[in-house]
Amino acid sequence: MKTYIKIALFIVSFIALSGILAALYFYNLKHTDMAKAKPDFVITASVLQKAFEDDETAASTRYINKILEVTGTIASVNPAENNILSISLVTGSGISSVICTFPAIADPSKFSTGHKITLRGECSGFLMDVLLNNCAVIQ
Amino acid sequence: MKHIAILFFLLVSGYAANAQKYMTKNGLIGFYSITPMEEIKADNNQVAGVIDAGTGEMVFQVLIKSFHFERALMEEHFNENYMESEKYPKSTFKGKITDLSSVNLSKNGTYYVTVDGDLTIHNVTNKVSMKGTIEVITGGINANSKFNIVPEDYKINIPGVVREKINKNLEVTVAMKYSPLENK
Repeated sequence: MKTYIKIALFIVSFIALSGILAALYFYNLKHTDMAKAKPDFVITASVLQKAFEDDETAASTRYINKILEVTGTIASVNPAENNILSISLVTGSGISSVICTFPAIADPSKFSTGHKITLRGECSGFLMDVLLNNCAVIQ
Repeated sequence: MKHIAILFFLLVSGYAANAQKYMTKNGLIGFYSITPMEEIKADNNQVAGVIDAGTGEMVFQVLIKSFHFERALMEEHFNENYMESEKYPKSTFKGKITDLSSVNLSKNGTYYVTVDGDLTIHNVTNKVSMKGTIEVITGGINANSKFNIVPEDYKINIPGVVREKINKNLEVTVAMKYSPLENK
């Protein structure tokens, strides 16, 4: 085999291999680990809820898809289907809170109503409450 | 304030007259697709819903961004390419149990029902009818349903290459555990 063919073959297989590796890397990409992620905003549950209630459009642009570190008092602990756990945080509003949903690993006994908590999660937006997903407890 | 208006219209109207309203904020809606090439599963545990046991009316609301996939890339494609969740962040269902007389609210048990209503996904509203169960338990109501939807019915475009990996019919699971509203 001529040298230039060998070189060409090498280059082609190198590109193909890096393509496959890159595809595998992206395919298996994990969700951001909130315990290690750097928060985009550090905020209290009351301020966050009020921001959405006052101006949902502005708050959506500002907070959705961002990592928020939220501090608040636990209003309730709600186990959901498939061992998923949600907690809601006290805000200035009687009906609307900040609901933080944890991945399946969270242990409900770690959370008790009335305790102060700081957690990090990704903001999905606002229904009746501000919703945070993929949460991790910081403090 | 539209979001609150939709769900709380049911709540406030007849709040005093009729105490048979139940709600949840962490219901589950999931979907599942399997083909020989790929298995896709996503759950949303932040479903807000109200059911009026007196009239059989039901309302659900979800944020598209709250659907959680095991693979981060799938979740990104789902939000950005298919559901366009920045443009259409919410999905809603508004419907009614058509055979409410078959449910005995004062007796614990599982009752089979049909729910007709409007399902809005990706800003497209279709009339749907699904079968499900209403389970009356002490201190609450559980509602469960499984039905299929076709993404194309909601103008969700899935390109040819990927189309093979996603089942034409997505199986949707709904599991709600409602608590009475008067406790709020």
